[in-house]
Amino acid sequence: MTATKAWMAGCILLAGLVLLALSVGTQGFGWGDGGSLVLLRSPRVLAALAAGLALGIGGAAQQGVFRNPLADPGLTGVFGGALFGIAVLLGLFPEAAWQRAWFIPAAAFAGALGISALLTLIGSGGSSSRLLLTGLGLNAFTAAGTLVIASRSGESRELLTNGAYGDWLGMATLELTWLPVLLCLAAALLLLPLARSLDLLSFGEDAARGFGCDVGSSRRKAVLLTALAAAAATCLVGQVAFIGLLAPHLARAMVGPRHANVLPLSALLGAGLLLGADTIGRGLWPHTPLSAAAVTAVIGAPLFIWIARGSHE
Amino acid sequence: MSDALIGALGLGVEIAGRRIIDGVSLAAASGQTLAIVGPNGAGKTTLLRALAGLLPSTGGLKVAGHDPRVVDAKTCAQTRAYCAQKPVSAWDYRLADLGDIVGDPVGYAHWLNKLQLGEFADRRLSELSGGEQKGAHLAMTFAALAEPFGCVLLLDEPASALDLGRQEAVRQAIVSFAQAGATCIIATHDFSFAKRCDAVVVLSEGRLVAAGEPAIALTPEIISEVWGAPASSER
Repeated sequence: MTATKAWMAGCILLAGLVLLALSVGTQGFGWGDGGSLVLLRSPRVLAALAAGLALGIGGAAQQGVFRNPLADPGLTGVFGGALFGIAVLLGLFPEAAWQRAWFIPAAAFAGALGISALLTLIGSGGSSSRLLLTGLGLNAFTAAGTLVIASRSGESRELLTNGAYGDWLGMATLELTWLPVLLCLAAALLLLPLARSLDLLSFGEDAARGFGCDVGSSRRKAVLLTALAAAAATCLVGQVAFIGLLAPHLARAMVGPRHANVLPLSALLGAGLLLGADTIGRGLWPHTPLSAAAVTAVIGAPLFIWIARGSHE
Repeated sequence: MSDALIGALGLGVEIAGRRIIDGVSLAAASGQTLAIVGPNGAGKTTLLRALAGLLPSTGGLKVAGHDPRVVDAKTCAQTRAYCAQKPVSAWDYRLADLGDIVGDPVGYAHWLNKLQLGEFADRRLSELSGGEQKGAHLAMTFAALAEPFGCVLLLDEPASALDLGRQEAVRQAIVSFAQAGATCIIATHDFSFAKRCDAVVVLSEGRLVAAGEPAIALTPEIISEVWGAPASSER
């Protein structure tokens, strides 16, 4: 499939999905009087779109920079780091955390960046399993840390637990989401120019440098922007695995591996996957909606096993 | 070394506390071809990577007027091209994609045809043999030097995985780059190729054992001393 056709098909499907998502709610299908329900639901839809976009392109960038098809900020602990950053802020300064719109995104970014740095230092440069094992270890550490902080802070316990289950989309309001949404878009836009560097990096550091790629700078930018995308997405939805893994794989299957096509298409597919998962979770169980992360995991886990088997073989 | 397009003076490389390259000096002028030969583990690849500025090294180094360890990668790539021994891509690109990635699809297509790979342009890397993949990477490397005059081409065993027809095509490409004013440095096990170069550097355990014209550097005595094999067994 050509990139143009994939884009057109993706945009049409996403537009249909947005309309569907705006029409699904706890009272069943409908847009309310004069579209009043649409206004209520639009922050949630916007948050899901922005977070999915950031998760998709972040996954593609992380896979590119680590030259590893199994890399995903959810599996490698970067989302865990973002949530841990938020947990530390809420645990230490429960009231001050909400005083400025940027406090929580900044804490999430610090956590995601810290884990990204550790992942780069310890896990990169070796086999696929080394990266994944390092990521799993870091993920377990941040999950445990978040759990400890949640159990010690009465006020934030429910909030952090919901975040760990990727269940924050239900709280989306324009006041809470505008900054993370902008950060998701900024991270995605700034990742796009790295496409050629990621292509060159796929041949290894020597080849990339031989063709004029500043490997250190490109890698630092990709890691930094992936952490920003993960942090902003975490602020919107909490922890969600598999979107960052599946979106790039689907994109490569559709348009081939060139990052100039894979990065934007992963963003589009990521947005569609997360919005689709959230809409399924709300549409099938309107009174007890299932979180987007749970729906994503139900679909994503078998696909991950399939991809891991294919990658290993 | 003053007229040399590439020059190394007492070059040393240490990896994990082990001296891999020890005080190697060499020089080659514009239009020259220089072969680096030596037994397995002699340090040919390490020396080539050090000359390309891809490894930290000690000693003096000048490549096309720059010290590649100091200048940025983009500036360096304008006058120096390097092809690794076994380049492997993490993703399964179509052969035609590689021209866009290297930034010169027309030049790349030209070299792809020269290396008898033009008809495979729509195939994916996984659908090609190891030799064909190496040929594609060589085409990328050649395309990266659009204007060869005053540039340095560093190739690590460029013909090792190729069939006879493509080996000859690579030899002709190297000759054409040298005739256009580039300096070509080739690490190789192929004595017949080394003997057709303007100069040969013989390495053993990271040290320079002999250097000069092939007739001087590749005498039966040196071959016997370095490879432990009679000169008649050379390829």
